[in-house]
Amino acid sequence: MKIKISRQHLYVSFISLLLLLFVFVFSFGVLIPKGKEYRESRLELRKENMEFQKYQNFHDETLGTLKNLQSKNRHIISAFDAVFNLDRFEKQHKVFFSSFNISKISRAKDEEGFASYEVNTSSQISSPKNFYNFLDALNKSDWIIGVNFPINFKRDGEMIKSSFIMKVYVNNKDKNSTASKSVAK
Amino acid sequence: MKYSYIVPRKKSPITPELQIVFTFFLITLVMIFLTYAFLLYKDYTFKKDKTTIIAHTKELKANIKQMQNHIRFIQKQKAFSEKVFTQNMVLKDSIANLFDLVPQRITLSRAKLLKNGLILYGITPSKDVYNFMLQAPLRSIFHKTYTSFYPAKNGWFMFVSTNYMDAVQNEELDNED
Repeated sequence: MKIKISRQHLYVSFISLLLLLFVFVFSFGVLIPKGKEYRESRLELRKENMEFQKYQNFHDETLGTLKNLQSKNRHIISAFDAVFNLDRFEKQHKVFFSSFNISKISRAKDEEGFASYEVNTSSQISSPKNFYNFLDALNKSDWIIGVNFPINFKRDGEMIKSSFIMKVYVNNKDKNSTASKSVAK
Repeated sequence: MKYSYIVPRKKSPITPELQIVFTFFLITLVMIFLTYAFLLYKDYTFKKDKTTIIAHTKELKANIKQMQNHIRFIQKQKAFSEKVFTQNMVLKDSIANLFDLVPQRITLSRAKLLKNGLILYGITPSKDVYNFMLQAPLRSIFHKTYTSFYPAKNGWFMFVSTNYMDAVQNEELDNED
């Protein structure tokens, strides 16, 4: 039996075969590996996204902590940033004394990473209570100030002469350069 | 001159069957290339998104590190300021205790408060009054107490009382602060 195939059918069959071959080669050679790559990329992106979300949450949490800390310690932060002003200090605290003199500030040894300045003070008080009130007011002042030893009290008639050294603490601009600009926001 | 009554059908190499076959081929190819184009586009966007996310994450990490440094610094400031404030209050209490310690019969003319000691200058009606009323409480506070007396013009005694704490205990007190 002789099978008669027309030339046209032969061409169509040949082109179909070519297409099939192309589809197979393209699918297995290009599409499937690309699809695999796509799935891997999608998974990786999801992972990166999750990690980003994790950091974003931690960032928000840390920011909240920082803001909370800043608002709770606004006075301390601004006090450490404030430049000591002799005149302003004298004006604010002379109410506690009958006479009050403070000498120029001199740089002292750094303490726990903070710069410190010494201020010599001499004053006259009518009662020790005035000195206690002064110490109370120091803790609420615009600067971080500690009264240091030695403290001298000397009777002068009805008054008490006192002399002591105050230490003013400020941010050390050199050592805490990364965090020294802690302006209370 | 006509040989036929019907108009001859125009013969084309592209028969309707062949057209269907080619349409099928075309649809197949378009679908394959569209899928490939979609994958290429997605790959490009994924890569772009990944780069952006990595950059943002890096930025967040840097921000977090900076904020943590800031938090640590504020905590350090807080701890240090509290230490200074406490020292001021301790000093206030110490001075108040000192003045409470001195009995009415003894008059102080001068007091020098040192980091590890106390020097008192004053006048007492008698040595016994000083010894019982001032030296005893001073001895309970300080480890070393020395007193010198000088007779005053009115028969009373001027005294200089030097009192020191041991350095070890002083350091312990500092640490407690």
